[in-house]
Amino acid sequence: MAEEQLVTFGLGTEEFGVDIMLVQEIIRIPPITRVPKAPDYVEGVINLRGNVIPVVSLRTRFGMERVEESDLSRIIVLQVQNKVFGIRVDAVTEVLRLDAESIEPPPPVALGMDSHFIRGVGKIGERLLILLNLDNIMGGEMNHESA
Amino acid sequence: MSQEDNQNMGVDLGEFLEFYLLDSQEQVEKLAAGLLQLEKEGNNVGLINDLFRSAHSLKGASGTMGFTSIVALTHSAEDLLDRLRQGKMEVSLPMVDILLAVTDRVKEMLRQVEQRVEINVEFQDVVDEMNALMRGEAPVPAKTIEAPVHSEAPSTPSEYTPIDFQLTEEVRDQVQDAQGLGHGIYQAVIKFAPNTLMKAVRAVMAVQRMENVGKVVKMIPSVEDLEVGNQDEFALLILSDDSPEEIREELLAVSEIAEVVIHPYSGTTTGTPLVTNQVAAAVHAEVLEGAEAPFDTEQLKQGIKPAQPVAVKAVPSSPAKPVAGNANNGASEGSNQVHTIRVDTVRMDNLINLVGEMVITRTRLVQIGQDLKEQYHMDAMVNNLNETTVYLGRLMSDLQESAMRLRMVPIGTVFSRFPRLVRDLSRKTEKEIELVLKGEDTELDKTVVEVIGDPLMHLIRNSVDHGIESPEERRAAGKPELGTITLDAYHEGNHIAILISDDGKGLDLNRIYEKALSKGLVGEREGLSDRDIANLIFLPGFSTADQVTDISGRGVGMDVVKKALNNLGGMIDITTRAGEGTTFTIRLPLTLAIIQALLVEAGTEIYAVPLSSVLETLLVEQKEIKNVGGIPMVQLRGNTLPLISLREKFELPPAEVEPEEVFVVVVGLGDKALGLIVDGLRGQQEVVIKSLGEYLNNLPGIAGATILGDGKVTLILDIGSLIQDILVTRRG
Repeated sequence: MAEEQLVTFGLGTEEFGVDIMLVQEIIRIPPITRVPKAPDYVEGVINLRGNVIPVVSLRTRFGMERVEESDLSRIIVLQVQNKVFGIRVDAVTEVLRLDAESIEPPPPVALGMDSHFIRGVGKIGERLLILLNLDNIMGGEMNHESA
Repeated sequence: MSQEDNQNMGVDLGEFLEFYLLDSQEQVEKLAAGLLQLEKEGNNVGLINDLFRSAHSLKGASGTMGFTSIVALTHSAEDLLDRLRQGKMEVSLPMVDILLAVTDRVKEMLRQVEQRVEINVEFQDVVDEMNALMRGEAPVPAKTIEAPVHSEAPSTPSEYTPIDFQLTEEVRDQVQDAQGLGHGIYQAVIKFAPNTLMKAVRAVMAVQRMENVGKVVKMIPSVEDLEVGNQDEFALLILSDDSPEEIREELLAVSEIAEVVIHPYSGTTTGTPLVTNQVAAAVHAEVLEGAEAPFDTEQLKQGIKPAQPVAVKAVPSSPAKPVAGNANNGASEGSNQVHTIRVDTVRMDNLINLVGEMVITRTRLVQIGQDLKEQYHMDAMVNNLNETTVYLGRLMSDLQESAMRLRMVPIGTVFSRFPRLVRDLSRKTEKEIELVLKGEDTELDKTVVEVIGDPLMHLIRNSVDHGIESPEERRAAGKPELGTITLDAYHEGNHIAILISDDGKGLDLNRIYEKALSKGLVGEREGLSDRDIANLIFLPGFSTADQVTDISGRGVGMDVVKKALNNLGGMIDITTRAGEGTTFTIRLPLTLAIIQALLVEAGTEIYAVPLSSVLETLLVEQKEIKNVGGIPMVQLRGNTLPLISLREKFELPPAEVEPEEVFVVVVGLGDKALGLIVDGLRGQQEVVIKSLGEYLNNLPGIAGATILGDGKVTLILDIGSLIQDILVTRRG
């Protein structure tokens, strides 16, 4: 049976999942350098072993309020379409397998956030897991030329 | 296929062929990928613009190299994309199909260019189809492209003339025996690239190469003759069980060998005497199928060695011994051969990256040393460590400089492709133009050389098209009929300046202003200097060419040029005088990899300013700063210096307490200067420039990032864009 392996994380009261194949590593929050004039959801850039990679604040991206960094805060480093970037989350919860059957398409009015970030909703017993479509997290409106 | 294509192949453009191929292949890939995206997304304006630009630069570059069939094909594609761009047509499936067919054909053509064979890919059908599409006719069903030649061996056309290799009776018998046993015998006519030095050495290398695939039976003319004579080709008789293509590939791997024509050899019985200059002509003669006969290598080897004492030196018949002989041969002939080696650029970049990492690591060591000193400042070991790091620092800067020098290339490699361009363009426009090259020895980084070609080409095209007048106009204006375009380069501090000047009619400033005004790009004329107005042509969306010409294009020109240069951390400026001509001045940093930077503070943040553009640092009292037209200015030795507050620019909260004095870092490029108001200076440091990646590439005012000794990322300011920014603000 088809199943997906996911890394799940918390953001506010919601729980999200990303495909484990896209996750390169999970790190604690290093010093982040703000990048002026970048889109607001780009929190800044970090040094990942000599490479400079951008970090997206998922809270800002999803229109949630900002919170202070806690002990549990992490950056999930992703590689999507050959591009490496990090997403900042409140806490990484677990790694789990999900049957393809228990994944439903996103509801039309998607939990108050942009539905094009959502690939589907996974059900594990009582828990609802929002599965992210990462193609649009970074970029989208950033693709336009600045000149 | 026109004669021109073929001639061009090796004549004077050989060394740029690699650049051209690399660049064009990339553009074709971009086009193909973009088309697929277009198919998905429909009328995406940004994407169509990108595609158009790719097609445009592909056309331009191919034109410079003289590959007319690629130009013809891409020109039609460009037309089609232009209609899309202007919204005159809609994206449709047949359109994407046909454009993809274009990319396939061009790829095929480029492959032939790469193999140094004549371009013979059919393309007219695709052009016709595109024209039909533009006329709004129903598309002819797109044909699939059956790559016409490359699967076949382009090197084995059926026509050939056997060359008389003047074999002795004995050897001829051996060869015939070998053929009888089913081994392949081939004649290869090998042409040197023009102006090849030390042809004999190349020939020996070619012969050595043949050991990988078989044996060389005979070579004419002999190595000795090649050494003294001025032949531009030679022929080999080769025994091999490999295919002709494989043999050809081996031969082409030898540098300076431009062309190889291989045929199965059947001339052991009959043969025409070889006069080397006739070898090429021989291709058009009689048709002979190569009758392959078996042979015994061992026998043949023994047969040749005693019989061909001349060939032994050049032709290693047993691998071990003659190699040494050849090496001697090579060394004695070409003592200057050992002075240069060719290195794969990837390896070199790797080395430079490693040096870069070492520079960072050394900076960390220095920091650790300082921390230790603070804690144990009387400790001898700490002092020892610090002395050592100082010494290491000196070694590092030497190493770094040596490494960087490896990448320095004279700008002449870019310049020398332009005379041909100007010649062709002046013919096309019926103008008389001479191109004068100066400062070709001026060296700059390979990375800069690679990207400067296109912007320069645009500017030269522009000078030909809009700068230089027709002979009649020139005569009427009392000027010599022969117009001159001068290309000059020289070092200016840490920058290189490149000047493109013409003695043409100069820019029509009134027309430029009118045009910019009508497009809403500019406001009141008052306060605009002539130079400000001239610089308007670099604004996106500006193009004075009312007429679309093949030469300077449709207004993709100037803003693209400026953007390309800004991306390199450079600037462009114009000076023009009516009736006397126009000069474009480009200023570029010498290298793009490692720079000296001044670290400055803005609020709690640290930024790096490339030291090459720092003129001085000042402490300025607040009350000296005057607001002129919305821009803070300060008087500096009689000149007004516009100021930018880095805090404001980068949206940081203002300081809680306004200090009475502020630090100003005066930065400049060329004769333009700007003061950056910063909160503090952190000293200077070597930094390795890292890209911010695709997502954050084009942010205004930021050129890149670097990692400091403490591991934190710091952003590098883009002085060029900051300065041009404030000029625009002043204009607006």
